[in-house]
Amino acid sequence: MKPLRVFGRWRLSTRMAAASLLLLLALQLSSLAAIRGSIEANARAQLSERLAVGERIWQRLLEQRAAKLGQGASLLAADYGLRSAIGSDDEDTIVSALDNHGARIGAALTALLDTKLLVRAVAHGDDTTLRPATIVLGSIAEQLAKDGSAVAMVGARAFQFVMVPVRAPLVVGWVAMGFELDRGPIDELQAVAGLHGTLVAQPRDGAARVLHSSFEPALAQAALDGTATTDHGGAVEATLDAMPWLLRPVAVSQTPRARVQLLLAGSIDDAVAPYRALQWTLLLVTLVGLALFAAGSVWTARRVTQPLSALVRASVRLGRGDYDAPIAHIRERGEVGELARAFDHMRLNIAAQQQEIRHLAYRDRLTGLPNRVRFRDTVIGAIGRGQPLAVIMLDLDRFKHVNDVLGYASGDRLLQGVAERLRGVVREGDTIARLGGDEFALLLDNADAERAQAMAVRIAAAFEMPLQLDDQPVDLSAGLGIALWPQHSADADTLLSRAEVAMYAAKRRTAGAQFYDASLDSASAQNLSLLSELREAVEQGQFRLYLQPKVRVADGTLCGAEALVRWQHPQRGLVPPLEFIPFAEQTGFIRQLTLWMFAEVARRQSALVALGVARVSINLSTRDLLDVELPEKLDALLAQHRASAQRLCLEITESAIMDDPERAEATLQRLAQRGFKLSIDDFGTGYSSLAYLKRLPVHELKIDKSFVMAMERDDSDAKIVRSTTDLAHGLGLSVVAEGVENASILQRLNALGCDEAQGYHLSKPLDVAAFEAWVAKRELATA
Amino acid sequence: MLIQRPLTRRTAAAALGAAAWLPAVRAAGAVEVRVTDDAERALSGAVVFLESAEARAQVKPLAGVEIAQEQRRFVPEVSIVTVGSAVSFPNRDVVRHHVYSFSPAKRFEIKLYVGTPAQPVVFDQPGIAVLGCNIHDQMAAWVVIVDTPWYGRTDEQGRWSGAVPAGRYRLRAWHPALAVGATPSDQALVVDPTGARAAVKLAVAR
Repeated sequence: MKPLRVFGRWRLSTRMAAASLLLLLALQLSSLAAIRGSIEANARAQLSERLAVGERIWQRLLEQRAAKLGQGASLLAADYGLRSAIGSDDEDTIVSALDNHGARIGAALTALLDTKLLVRAVAHGDDTTLRPATIVLGSIAEQLAKDGSAVAMVGARAFQFVMVPVRAPLVVGWVAMGFELDRGPIDELQAVAGLHGTLVAQPRDGAARVLHSSFEPALAQAALDGTATTDHGGAVEATLDAMPWLLRPVAVSQTPRARVQLLLAGSIDDAVAPYRALQWTLLLVTLVGLALFAAGSVWTARRVTQPLSALVRASVRLGRGDYDAPIAHIRERGEVGELARAFDHMRLNIAAQQQEIRHLAYRDRLTGLPNRVRFRDTVIGAIGRGQPLAVIMLDLDRFKHVNDVLGYASGDRLLQGVAERLRGVVREGDTIARLGGDEFALLLDNADAERAQAMAVRIAAAFEMPLQLDDQPVDLSAGLGIALWPQHSADADTLLSRAEVAMYAAKRRTAGAQFYDASLDSASAQNLSLLSELREAVEQGQFRLYLQPKVRVADGTLCGAEALVRWQHPQRGLVPPLEFIPFAEQTGFIRQLTLWMFAEVARRQSALVALGVARVSINLSTRDLLDVELPEKLDALLAQHRASAQRLCLEITESAIMDDPERAEATLQRLAQRGFKLSIDDFGTGYSSLAYLKRLPVHELKIDKSFVMAMERDDSDAKIVRSTTDLAHGLGLSVVAEGVENASILQRLNALGCDEAQGYHLSKPLDVAAFEAWVAKRELATA
Repeated sequence: MLIQRPLTRRTAAAALGAAAWLPAVRAAGAVEVRVTDDAERALSGAVVFLESAEARAQVKPLAGVEIAQEQRRFVPEVSIVTVGSAVSFPNRDVVRHHVYSFSPAKRFEIKLYVGTPAQPVVFDQPGIAVLGCNIHDQMAAWVVIVDTPWYGRTDEQGRWSGAVPAGRYRLRAWHPALAVGATPSDQALVVDPTGARAAVKLAVAR
């Protein structure tokens, strides 16, 4: 990881440095190449120029030599003795005088020409090779007279001739003197101009020859060969002894018999050499510059990338959720500092948001209690510790009504109040949570059934005092479900769901607290088998229709009956409704049961009417009401049994309606349209408002039996019955009293103007046969 | 009759004229010669003389002819003498001179001297002698030695005229500007008693 990161950091800085370096390198290389090319061209041009200068120097050297020789010759020509000899007109005298005087200044040959430039006499000592001198002089006399000097070949040697007039005192003739053109000027030229010279003779008929050269003979011959192929005037390049040279042929003389040339040679290597040193220096400077630049770029790049990689590491830490370590480099100026500060700001913000999110995720904002997720985690943690524990789950009763009637703000304060009360009852180490809505839960650590029961009692006690909401006392009550670990479940989720099951069971029974029991649980094995048994019961006709008579309070005549269901289990015998009706409601099987009942009643409708039962009441559950297809299903059953809706009353509990008032209202409207009589069951236990009730298409109120049964002892209950009856009548509804257990109650109901009554005083629910018998007996009694 | 000191061209011409006029043995005609260069421009100072056997027979050496050296110059620069004339070379400078001639007409030298050398130089052959000084190269003088009494020099208009006895002559003309060693021009001239006219062209370097 670490080497990788180092590599990663190096990569960017190296990239930056390498890019700059490459650019610089390219720049330097191209400039070096340009300089090199320019130097080559420049050196050649300079060498060429030096050769041109060398040519001028050579000519000046020849001129100077000619001038010097000419001066000497002039002096000699003015010598009286020579002039006397010339004046003597004697050939031999003249020749010997010429020899004598020529020898004085080292002339190899001396000649006398007349005023018409005809050679009169030539003196060349004993050197017979100089005999052609007469002809040579004749051919160059004109040039000599004009220029004073000339170079010409005599035999195999080159001579520089000078010619001066002989005055006596007028010009009576010319004296020409020839001096061999030796290495002198060539050496002088080399000393002055640093150029090599090679004097070459090119006879008209014959091969060119090297006369003198500052080169060694082989090189001189090579130079001669190098220029042999070219005859243009400029310089030519030639390779002599594997070295490049620039050669410049310079014409020295041209006579009909022979031509003399000087080959000037300059070494290209020597010309380039000083620049080579410069180039090496330049290269060295470039390399040092590159090295410095590389070091500088790497340093700069690392200065930039080091904070960056620190930020990368920091962001990796942030990614892992570590928000505690502060970011480095936040004090730096410039962009990196800004970036670091932005990162740090981000770190702090994310940390705060994380905190907030965690809070939101695990806390309920309203009450400040842990939420369901947190509670679950806590339970898991507690289970992990292995201590026995209990979970109490509680759901407030009628919370929805508080919300509806007093508003959501009050609902919220109610929840806060409940949370407050719960905090008051728990021990240190216990956990309270709000699971959602009006559901709360407690985790009792290290607790058994006894302690859980004790806690349930304490909670109930805490809920005894009503909660004040804006001077409005609200009664608190709740269903409590208790599940224990490890007795009820092995894991946290099941434990919670079992506590919930127990809680719902408690609510249904309106019992304060309920321990979990497998029988409560539709999902338990026992309940699963119960469900299949119920299905079997429908198929195999194990259900029995029971009817409880309803009579008119005023005259005691039979006016109707409430249809009830009993289960004739083949093994268990008659199963009481409480053992399967709540279960059926919970699982939804109640809908099938309702339809079964409806079909039973419809099937017997005509028979019952014949018995004097004008109307049979059938209970609809919440689930029935929420079934939008219920009216159509009932239509179908009515049609099937040719039954009339007018002779059927559908009873709905107040709480069933209030579960979803709008949908309930819509369904009820549709049922009322079909002619069903509608009745509110258990009236007085719910929170339905009169305004709402007024809207519903109901025809009847059934006063809850708790009021009716208590009206003998409790005057206030009697008042409730009375006022309810008055109210119902005021709204045009008939009133049915349940739970009529004795004659006195019936009497009182009559006094209160109650319309119909039902109860054990009249008859308990009876199977159809017993019901028929009861009717027959009653008719007999009244008859 | 001798001309004592023909110092100038004018006096020399006058002397020649007189000399031509005096021996009036035969009828003399007036001869007029005009000397020009190649471009027909008048050439003054040209030496003109007429040769013939009769003239040679009548020639007499001149006496007292001087070519002096004054201020490092020969004075006069051009002298005309008859054959056999002795010429003295008085040195009027303080420096010495070394007068010489390598000309075939007369070779001689007078080595470093002051004053007038004791022996005058006798010019015994016709021709032109070029004189120089071995000390001073720029000094030059010409001595035209003629073998006739009829000679003279052209004036500013390039003319010379004189009375010459009638007869057949060779008209010769020379000028110092001619090339070194050049011989005088040579053309026939017949002089009638009435005289003659002639034109001479000289290829002088000017």
